[in-house]
Amino acid sequence: MGPPIPTEALLRTDSGRGSDSSLVTDDCSLKPLLLFEHASKWYGPVLALNQVTLELTGGITGLVGANGAGKSTLLRLATGQIAPTLGRVTVRGTDARDWRARRLVGYCPDADAFYEDLSGRRFVRVMARLCGYARREADRRTDAALDLVGMTGRADRPLRGYSKGMRQRVKLAQALLHDPELLVLDEPLSGIDPVGRQDLLGLFRQLAATGKCLLVSSHELEALEKLTDHVVVMARGRVAAVGTLQQIRDRLDDYPLSVRVEVDRPREVARRLLALPEVVGVEVDAAGLVVRAHHPKRFFAAFGRLTVEDGWEVRRLEPLDESAHAVLGYLLGGSGRT
Amino acid sequence: MGVQTDSLLRYRPWRGTPRGPLWGAAAVARVAVRLLAGRRLFWGLAALGLMVFFFFFYAQYLFVWIKTFTDETVRFAGVPVAVADLSKFLGRVNLDGSVHTFGNYVWFQGYILVIVLALAGSVLVGNDFAHGSLPFYLSKPIARRHYLLGKVLAVGAVVNLFTTLPAVVLWVQAGLLFDWHTYYVDNFHLLVGILGYGLLLTVTLGLLTVATAVWVRRTVPMVMAWVGPFVLLRMIAEWVVDGLKYDPRWRLIDLWNDLYLCGLWCLGADPRTIRPPAQPDVWEAALVVAGVCGGCLLYLRRRVQAVEIVQ
Repeated sequence: MGPPIPTEALLRTDSGRGSDSSLVTDDCSLKPLLLFEHASKWYGPVLALNQVTLELTGGITGLVGANGAGKSTLLRLATGQIAPTLGRVTVRGTDARDWRARRLVGYCPDADAFYEDLSGRRFVRVMARLCGYARREADRRTDAALDLVGMTGRADRPLRGYSKGMRQRVKLAQALLHDPELLVLDEPLSGIDPVGRQDLLGLFRQLAATGKCLLVSSHELEALEKLTDHVVVMARGRVAAVGTLQQIRDRLDDYPLSVRVEVDRPREVARRLLALPEVVGVEVDAAGLVVRAHHPKRFFAAFGRLTVEDGWEVRRLEPLDESAHAVLGYLLGGSGRT
Repeated sequence: MGVQTDSLLRYRPWRGTPRGPLWGAAAVARVAVRLLAGRRLFWGLAALGLMVFFFFFYAQYLFVWIKTFTDETVRFAGVPVAVADLSKFLGRVNLDGSVHTFGNYVWFQGYILVIVLALAGSVLVGNDFAHGSLPFYLSKPIARRHYLLGKVLAVGAVVNLFTTLPAVVLWVQAGLLFDWHTYYVDNFHLLVGILGYGLLLTVTLGLLTVATAVWVRRTVPMVMAWVGPFVLLRMIAEWVVDGLKYDPRWRLIDLWNDLYLCGLWCLGADPRTIRPPAQPDVWEAALVVAGVCGGCLLYLRRRVQAVEIVQ
């Protein structure tokens, strides 16, 4: 595992607006939407979450990590399903376990077990009534939420006949019912076909654009990368890193960055680059060369200077390991697979 | 200009005030009862319960009708029976709109109710734990206690559907069969007693059902768990008190009997008229019932605070 990066409030964006936030108190909008303060969670002798401090104020945040890294525990704490053994989790200043805090939080759990005899519409309506809405308002919100996730025409069938993708959509609809400021989504893209996935990714972006904060846990890093570059990386119960993939990569100075360079004179360029103190190795192949360098910022500055000085014709310059997979691989000490 | 219907389906900020979590508990109860009503077994048991009710309903009618033929005989399967004897028999089984009519009705209905509750427990509560539906409930703005309240309300609805509601109907019927001018006034305390008995059953059986369902979760173990207090302990109590002539306090281990004693107290029954006669005091039975309720509450409190609730 790579060196831990200090957890910072890198994810601060504009706070949410136009939702039920007024239901707690008016001055609560000044407080962080979701705040973990040294939160730890023990399951008997097992430490699932270790001293996590995290603050979310808006935008889309990806939550990634290997199995058993503590993602689910973090999501459960965020949605008030469980209480931290130590520390505190608050939503706009209200304890996440308090039912009032859940007016601000929509949760789409990974599990999709519910009463199979109910139709999708009935299920969402029941959830709306649980939110405290009167029948008419519950019906209106049910229709709106189902429309939003593209399930209007298929909502009257029993849940037992639903595909995985349809279940995901219905679960998402019930999470959106009360127009929450914070949406906590556990594997929301799991089982959804590519077209549906694009629709949902668009919906997530749309929700974020309206000021909502989304915390999305996913194993599908490619999809997550398309959605956001803000990630929280979990490893062994700790937050290993928080920030954009670029920010995280930049902090991993101990790990050399791999950059593919396609130039007209690769051997000469390789010789010049090896003279740079940041460069630790160069591989030359038919298409160009792959440079491994520490301190990416200094390397790119030096590379640009040399390009101008020597008049290289650079056809392609591509960092190979700024993907979520690669960054995770560095942080988690593996291949990056989660 | 046409109506822009699509705007109705779009999100807009909520301007109303959502109702409190107690309404959420009511929603939990509603969906739970609806789920139970979707089971065929439930309707089969409800039909049995209805038969018990009709037995009491028509027997009360028969009792009044027979009393009009005081000097005659009626034929049962060709055998002439003196109406006076028949009337005496029906009077002995208390089908006369008295305290023991309602006490006996709830007692007999208990046999079916126990089976219904074993089914209800696993359907209403056990499934949420076994299949992992709980996060859906607990992610909504209700506290754990509201979730449990909703489930207890659902169980209470079933209990009252089988006991209190038909007992009230029997009370109304008795008033219509006898002199209703005086019956309703003189026996108003019976109506209050029926409601009190129903409340006692609702609270006790509701908590016990939910606690047992949280503990064992599935139907078959739930039935087996019910067999203990409601069948096995009753048999032991009867054997020890009636057979071995031990202290009547041994009957306290029979929870249904304890509830019966408390119910009869609500109805204002004379303790000397309770059968079988060797019974513990009402306060002792009440103490046991309170202990069971307290134990269930403590167990549920412990469980809702535990991690396993979302496992």
